[in-house]
Amino acid sequence: MISRPRLITAAVAVALLAACAPEAPGTGSGGSTSGNQVSDATLTIATTTDVVNYNPLVGNSRSDYWITNLMYPHLLSIGPDGNKQPELATKWGYDNPTSGYYEIKSGLKWSDGKPLTAKDVAFTLNATKRDKPAGTLTGQLTNMASATAVSDTRVEVKLSAPDSTVIPEVGFWGNIVPQHVFEPAGSVAKFANDGSNGGWVSAGPYVLSDVQRGQSYTMTRVDNYPLVEGGKPKAAKIVYRVFPDVNTEILSLKNGDVDVIANSLPPAQVKGLQGTDGIKVAEVPGLGYAHMTYNMTKPDLAKKEVRQALAQAVDYDAIRKVVLQDQGVSTGSSPIMPVLKDFYDDSIKEYSYDPAGSKKLLQQAGYTADGNGNFPLTFRMIYSLQDPVTTQWATLVKDGAAKAGITIELQGLERNTYLAKTNAGDFDIYAGNFAIMDDPATNMALTYLPKGAINYSYVDDSALNDLITRARVTFDRDKQRPILQKAAKMVRDNVYDNIMYTQNLYVAYRSDWSGFSVKPSELLSIVNPISVASATKSK
Amino acid sequence: MTMTEPTPPVDPVLQAALPAASAVDSPARNTWRRFLREPLGVAALVVLVSLVFVAVAAPLLADYPTGYGNAVLSPPSGANWFGTDSLGLDVYSEVVWGARQSLLVAAAASVIAIVFGTLLAVLGAYFRRLDAVISVVVDLTLSLPVLPLMILVAALIGPSTITIILVIAAFSWPEVTRVVRSQALAVVRLPYVDAARLMTSSPAWIIRRHVIPAVMPLILVSVVLTSSRAVLSAAGLAFLGLGDPNTWSWGRILYEAQQAGAMSTAWWLPMFPSLAIFLLVLASTLLSTAYNDARNPRRNKS
Amino acid sequence: MSLLSFVLKRIGRGLLTIWFAVTVTFLMLRLLPGDPAIAIASTNMTPAIRAELLRTYGLDQPLPVQYVKYLGQLLQGNLGISFSQNIPVTDSLMEMLPWTLLLVGASLVVTVLLGIPLGVAAAARAGGVLDRLVQVVAVTGQSLFVPSVGILLLYVFGLQLGWFPIGGAYTDGTYGGAWYVSVISHLVLPSLSLVLVQLGSYVLTVRSTLIEALGEDYVTLAHANGLPGRRVLWKHALRNALLPTTTLIGLQICLYLVGGVILIETVYAYPGIGRGIYDAVIRLDFPLLQGAFLLLAAVVVVVNMITDVVYGLLDPRVKVGS
Repeated sequence: MISRPRLITAAVAVALLAACAPEAPGTGSGGSTSGNQVSDATLTIATTTDVVNYNPLVGNSRSDYWITNLMYPHLLSIGPDGNKQPELATKWGYDNPTSGYYEIKSGLKWSDGKPLTAKDVAFTLNATKRDKPAGTLTGQLTNMASATAVSDTRVEVKLSAPDSTVIPEVGFWGNIVPQHVFEPAGSVAKFANDGSNGGWVSAGPYVLSDVQRGQSYTMTRVDNYPLVEGGKPKAAKIVYRVFPDVNTEILSLKNGDVDVIANSLPPAQVKGLQGTDGIKVAEVPGLGYAHMTYNMTKPDLAKKEVRQALAQAVDYDAIRKVVLQDQGVSTGSSPIMPVLKDFYDDSIKEYSYDPAGSKKLLQQAGYTADGNGNFPLTFRMIYSLQDPVTTQWATLVKDGAAKAGITIELQGLERNTYLAKTNAGDFDIYAGNFAIMDDPATNMALTYLPKGAINYSYVDDSALNDLITRARVTFDRDKQRPILQKAAKMVRDNVYDNIMYTQNLYVAYRSDWSGFSVKPSELLSIVNPISVASATKSK
Repeated sequence: MTMTEPTPPVDPVLQAALPAASAVDSPARNTWRRFLREPLGVAALVVLVSLVFVAVAAPLLADYPTGYGNAVLSPPSGANWFGTDSLGLDVYSEVVWGARQSLLVAAAASVIAIVFGTLLAVLGAYFRRLDAVISVVVDLTLSLPVLPLMILVAALIGPSTITIILVIAAFSWPEVTRVVRSQALAVVRLPYVDAARLMTSSPAWIIRRHVIPAVMPLILVSVVLTSSRAVLSAAGLAFLGLGDPNTWSWGRILYEAQQAGAMSTAWWLPMFPSLAIFLLVLASTLLSTAYNDARNPRRNKS
Repeated sequence: MSLLSFVLKRIGRGLLTIWFAVTVTFLMLRLLPGDPAIAIASTNMTPAIRAELLRTYGLDQPLPVQYVKYLGQLLQGNLGISFSQNIPVTDSLMEMLPWTLLLVGASLVVTVLLGIPLGVAAAARAGGVLDRLVQVVAVTGQSLFVPSVGILLLYVFGLQLGWFPIGGAYTDGTYGGAWYVSVISHLVLPSLSLVLVQLGSYVLTVRSTLIEALGEDYVTLAHANGLPGRRVLWKHALRNALLPTTTLIGLQICLYLVGGVILIETVYAYPGIGRGIYDAVIRLDFPLLQGAFLLLAAVVVVVNMITDVVYGLLDPRVKVGS
């Protein structure tokens, strides 16, 4: 017996549902099998962050990078030793200190058939310089004056001042976009590139074909992709799926609902997944580091002894062992990381964990401890609550400092507030991490030169400034190296920056997939274009 | 049901606390004797008292979880009864000390909600002009989805213990007001209150002497129920990252389990705090039901 | 009171409630600590866009002027631009709404189908063992912490038993009929979680109102007229108990639509409004957060209005005034 009220309610519900029911997608085809490899398979990749925008010049979330990297090529890539490698560009360098060049592969095409030439490269660089979109590339172009395509395959870049970092950094960071798509839109800073004008134009290996916001992003193969072995990407489709909760993501991988988890695993989950049947875990060398900076505009922190005392009050080993599960590596407290084999100086040693020594330093600096052993020193440390690893070691830092009689107040902030306070210098101690610090000269310029974009310690040391500026105009790697190493040692000895570790990352994928090629950093890892295009699924 | 138009009906347990029209208030001792005969109610009381005891006696029961431990995410064992978390800390200690914060937040939030809510209800019952305004505000607030509001406020102000308490209190008081108000209205119209009005011109005295005691049982039940719901709200907010990151609470244990990707791989991490929350809410509700049954024996029988 | 004036009065109250929700969010975002501009303009936006938004919403003007502009924008259906997605909030919400409605609708149907028989069974033998059991089980459901239950279900039924897929609303690459099937299979676990949480309160209300109805005069009268007990129970008491339960259906949506749904959609990666709220919180995307809240409030109000009207249609006593 169905009563009227239930019928009515049911009818209303059905009507509501019918009115705004999601539409079923149209027809499509599945995969076929041949040999012991599934040909034309679909690779499903899970991510915890949603895609925010499709314009690679205005990069934003990780997922943005992953997806746009599959459509817009970089001139240069990076190898396991931290050195730049060819991708779109086959040759690159400087003709003279103010003029650089790239030679790109010939015969490449965009997915709509138009040729990919040096003109697209020149356009990308010039438009970015002109329109200043909010992205990393804009920052790299500070010393570029103009770019010109002198032939279909050669771009010449004029610099406004000698700078040895421009060509490699711009080549590594910049995505090349199609001039015929981006130019008509006017400003590249405002162009949404949301495919509303008949879809996307890609240089391969894949092109976005379907977007279900917050759920899945489907990309289909671009058949002609010379950069991969065989010239054609193996998987026919790539689907990025968004999971807000990493727990569900892991269950989904174990279940086979997804094939790869693109975001790096929480350190505590790595061992478990390594031991799970059907799952493989790849190690991805980190290209960045986690660090704390001490705000030197504050009178106490302007004193070197105080900074040294703070640096010696951190149990680095415990952090690496417990929080990172031994997946972190010390950099020797130097801003040059071990993965950059050409530059790394292993003579620089990490600060030792010595709270008693810290106390002595503070006393030498004129501070007296009270009856409980506490000094009149209280510092406010900010960090992002969205970063679970930093959140965990922040408490360890606080505990260590307490042992040295220093009080640290933890202020965990949500991301936007964190960024705002960072930019405003509203903190005593800043804790955070950089994902990619691939070029020491560029990075030090940004981090230690006064008014540098990421100079969070507000350091202004003329000797250091001198070293860094010299490094930037030294084009010979052998001559540049000792300058940078000296600068790194200066940073370490003066505690202008407390580099805590570089974290090796781990990504998990199902073992029936293979052929991935690992590149350093989470932005590339196994989801870089060549890797994705080479991946195959066994039956 | 309510004095105004049909609105979301009252929580069944809270409604049952309203005395039946013809019931006479039983003396406390009879209530207590009847209550003792209900095994579920007694069991619930025992559980609740134990949880409060754990919260109060936390320093005696476990060390404050701080720093780190060497065995990360290890299952329950002799050394760690509830296992360890992603920093190697003992989950048992976290649950024990978390009881403090969770119960504190719940109690504080509900006390504020109840004091504020009862005050408004009683004032509204006594002063008819205020009543119109108050009942409109109450009904309107009750019609709004509460958790998103809490989320909005917590996101704006930033996570901290005070924020959570105030946010939960701010959205819990309307329910209290509505229920207490109907009872207060009934009392205010009783003849002896009119008589009291003849004796004194001080509304405060009348309210304190007559109205409050009449609504007291309702308030008691309210305290228990609102607190338990506050625990769920606080845990929910903490799980979404809006809890206080500096103190241990049940919600925080769950949040850290979620962040560490451990919810399905280290079952002890989400299970024990969830169990604690579950026991608290279950016991509170059963206790309230049993108390109501004991006060009005005819209420729930056919 | 005639039916028409009853309905009009109900609609009036509904509009008043929506206005209240709108005003509350307006005030909250501008009076609570922090830069009020975050309500509509993100710091990531270019200065030109930011200035334009500030002008549209009049953030440099006194509060009353802002309020008027804000209401004006709302009436035009402009909920602002989502910081995190760079699309109008309305578009984003419209994509998410169907999934939430689907989820809640499915859970509601199951809750009602299970809840009424359980409530009746408990009321029929009130005070007995079955009744006690049902009450305890009902309260148990209300005491569960939703995300833990969600992960547990995923683990047991998704991973270990492999009966259901994990995460998402449908399987990519399925079309036509297969797509609908995948939607259903993805719907089962999330709605089951919601049912577990909702069922308790529903059963208890059915039970208590039925018990009250069983004590009413007309039931006694029907008994006195010699009608067999069973029929009395089902025909008369249930009919009356259905009135509050219909209202309760509305309540269910109000109370649990958001509390449980936000957590459930997050855990199950279900792309509904609850998930949208979670994402908006993570990124402090206030336009989206505010828009989602307003949409939910509107849904709640509309459903309440509908159920109250239905209530009114059925119960002759209501129309004559309470």
